Amino acid sequence: MVAETAAEWDVDMEDKQKYACPEQQRVGCGLAGIYTALSIGGVLPIMHSGPGCIHAISSVLSVANGGQNPVPYMESVVPSSNLSEAEVVFGASDKLRSVLEHSLRYYKAEIFLLVTGCSAEIIGEDVYEIAEQYTTPEKTVLHVPLPGFKGNNVWGHHQVLSALIDGYVEEYGEREVVPKRVNVWGVVPHYDPMWVGTLEKLEALLRRIGLEPNIIYSPWGGIDALKKIPTAEYNLLLSPWTDLDIVKKLERKFDTPYIHFPYMPIGPTAEAELIRKLTETFGLDEAFTESVIKERTDRYFYYFDRNLVWLFDMHNQRSLPREFFTNASASASLSITKYFVSDLGLSPRKIFLPEDVPKKHRKTVKKLFLETAGEYLTEEDIIFTDDGGLFEQYLKDVDQMVRKSAVIGSIWDDITAKKANMPFVSVCAPYGDVLVCDKQYFGTDGALTLMADLYNDAEKKGLVSAVV
Amino acid sequence: MAVDLRLDEPPVRETRTRSIIGYNGSLKDLTKQGCDGCLKNKNRCFTTGTYCSHLTAITSVLGLPDTLVVDHAPIGCCGVEMIFSGGYSLNQPGPGGEFRDNVRMFTTKFTESDTVFGAAEKLKDTVRGAFERHHPKEIYIATSCTSAIIGEDVGAVAAEMTEELGIPVTMLGAAGMRSRLWSTGFDAFFHSTGKARFKPPVKKEDTIIYAGFASIAQETVAPIFKKLGLDMVFLTAGSTIEDYERASQARVSFGQCDVDDSYILSYLEENYGVKYFHIHQPNGGIGFERFMRDLGAYLKKEDVVEEIIREEREKYAAKIDALKPMLAGKTALVALGSGYVFEMVRMLKELGMEAVHAVSYHYDPLTDASPDRNDRTPVADVRELGMDVSVSVSNAQQMEVYLAVKKYKPDIVITRAHGAGCWAAKVGVPCLDPGLGINIVGYRGLYLFADALASSFRNTAVFDAMKARYQSPFTEEYEALPPTRFYAKGGEESAKEGCHGRGDGSGMGCRYGR
Repeated sequence: MVAETAAEWDVDMEDKQKYACPEQQRVGCGLAGIYTALSIGGVLPIMHSGPGCIHAISSVLSVANGGQNPVPYMESVVPSSNLSEAEVVFGASDKLRSVLEHSLRYYKAEIFLLVTGCSAEIIGEDVYEIAEQYTTPEKTVLHVPLPGFKGNNVWGHHQVLSALIDGYVEEYGEREVVPKRVNVWGVVPHYDPMWVGTLEKLEALLRRIGLEPNIIYSPWGGIDALKKIPTAEYNLLLSPWTDLDIVKKLERKFDTPYIHFPYMPIGPTAEAELIRKLTETFGLDEAFTESVIKERTDRYFYYFDRNLVWLFDMHNQRSLPREFFTNASASASLSITKYFVSDLGLSPRKIFLPEDVPKKHRKTVKKLFLETAGEYLTEEDIIFTDDGGLFEQYLKDVDQMVRKSAVIGSIWDDITAKKANMPFVSVCAPYGDVLVCDKQYFGTDGALTLMADLYNDAEKKGLVSAVV
Repeated sequence: MAVDLRLDEPPVRETRTRSIIGYNGSLKDLTKQGCDGCLKNKNRCFTTGTYCSHLTAITSVLGLPDTLVVDHAPIGCCGVEMIFSGGYSLNQPGPGGEFRDNVRMFTTKFTESDTVFGAAEKLKDTVRGAFERHHPKEIYIATSCTSAIIGEDVGAVAAEMTEELGIPVTMLGAAGMRSRLWSTGFDAFFHSTGKARFKPPVKKEDTIIYAGFASIAQETVAPIFKKLGLDMVFLTAGSTIEDYERASQARVSFGQCDVDDSYILSYLEENYGVKYFHIHQPNGGIGFERFMRDLGAYLKKEDVVEEIIREEREKYAAKIDALKPMLAGKTALVALGSGYVFEMVRMLKELGMEAVHAVSYHYDPLTDASPDRNDRTPVADVRELGMDVSVSVSNAQQMEVYLAVKKYKPDIVITRAHGAGCWAAKVGVPCLDPGLGINIVGYRGLYLFADALASSFRNTAVFDAMKARYQSPFTEEYEALPPTRFYAKGGEESAKEGCHGRGDGSGMGCRYGR
């Protein structure tokens, strides 16, 4: 039984947003785009910024996001000009040149990105000139402006990819298209806490159905994968909006068409849809790909069936969460909404997207949520904000009945959910200062892990009980 | 230089305590140059990212209950809040069984046009909005590089909002670029909280102040001070407004290290006569005995102190002796903040180990305490124990520490928080976070340290495995460098030239070997 009516949930969001003052940060600033660079073997960012910028970004994107640091260049060895007051007044290009010269000699990298933070951008250094001057046939130096006052880490990620495409791939990229080769886009390394595990599973699936995935991030990619970008038959975008600009850019530059499958698939329905979409686009052997779908779906339901007593008998259905909120990135929110709505039978109540989705993409994102869960959501239920604390405030006005709704978010929401005694799963940055290792919620296998994480949290909070 | 809380923010350490972040030599030389007033900073030609006062200042303030911080900065500057203030380990149920709230940290999210036109109105709106949302008892507005570069008058906004909201709204000087020493942020934390919270004494109380990051393990030292008739008051990132209000009424004070707290404890000594003990930090056995005797002499309770020392020594002697054979003859490289690194060198010696090199993340020739502004524990250790060790000073420049580990080949690297341990581990050297604060105080602290060291040596399989797999991501040219390579030629800063007393506390010789 669900006690709340739709009208009771209709808290006035305008009122809550009266003061535009973000709290509970779930993003890094533009400079955190360096994590994308640090995830591509052979690329080294050099920071032209304040001394502490590396730590400000590493907390949300690295240690507090599943305990993951970049490999091999951990934050502690990322070169930085460490701008202080004197350089801000008297100029800092000599310092930057010196740091760059030594970096070129000390690090086994081929592409060096001079990234500028707020202070360097305000004082207006001509870093493009320095980049050009130090570029040789063996080593490419690029300038990427990433000031925090221009955007967050997702913006920074796009800036870094864009600079690599314009400044490196265009010049050094191979051009002959290889059939069945597909570039994978949509995952923001280090921002998605499960990015490595997810890409690992995706890579295996794509290979299984006969494609040749090209993933530029470690542990697969690197400079060679960058060079292969123009040779793909298609660019595969697996997110509602991140990297959409990148695949459009690649279409313009290299005539590579893109496939926009708007979420990383979780669960049998989404996974089968992706496999069928790829089968059709690439002209794969349908009989074979259908057999792959069957095999994976059968496995999912075998494991699911093994939980039936726990799910529907010992713990009766009345007390498991049947509705959910997300307060997470658009990518994680949409993937999980798709699984919950299509396979697990949970309905979304409200979708909070506290990652400051750019205005130009909001219409698309809204449309995708309505396509996925339009039976349960209206346009007003999808909330774009940069205020991570908005959800916590909203929740204060919602009556909590016997059956608790699930909360899908980050460690910030874990605290909120604990206080409200609601089942919770962490899916996005900052994931928490616990180890994520190779965990992922990809496809049919990952869906089982997600289901277990959600229901186990309900159990541990004492919510799942036949006697409630 | 007397501490003046009427200022918006503390003067930076570069001028106030003549602090440096570049040096290579020995402890004897470092302390002598520091005492003689002729210690110069060595500049580097190559640097890696480090840390800033913005982060130290805001993470400290965020721990305070009923407090809220508005970061006047672009989005991103307040990111560090997660690791120190919002992590799982810090979010356990409190004494009442209640889960703590999320830390309250807002940002004005500077945009490009704000950097041109200023954002004072936006700041006021954010302060109002944050107040309306959470109704805190006080608000701190943190400055940033960006707000400082555009010259935003945050102090004026704070004063205006104090008037409007009827609660203290205080500027927190946290522009990272102002100082190259992240410890300037500790001063900023105490400056702003002291400014907002201190009250003149109503009566004198038999209390001892402990200042530091946290009051963890207070139950282990409180009974010791109780024997001297003293209750403890804490000035840490977790202290209530009431704790601060009682501070001026205390009799004596000490802290986790003079880097963290000489600023505020000197202020309390100068203004309210709260005697500050800092020349002997109470860490390990030797440190504890010296500190307690200083305290006993001041309180005229020498007999009680001797009894305490005897009891503490006896309580842990057998436990420590049992561990010593596992530590005998082992060598360590210590890379820690200036207030702790030499404490660890001394404690290692107490346990029969040897520090082959010490990396101090900065060095302060002076403290804020008077009249012995430059009599610090490392100076006392050289004077009283003849202690010496090879030293480099770097603001967590791990490309240097990596080379130092290669050069000195220690059996263990003792370090915390700034990445040195990870690189030691990669090349197969065990690393250990030695803990800090009350957990390293006295013979109990020495025992915990010995136990942690012994367990680090017991099974090194994880480090051996990493060493076997290690492939350097750096070039051969770098791998062959000496650890001092990055000092720019002629890099000594001219601003601190001259080896003569300047009449402002430096160059007084601090009893060094004289």
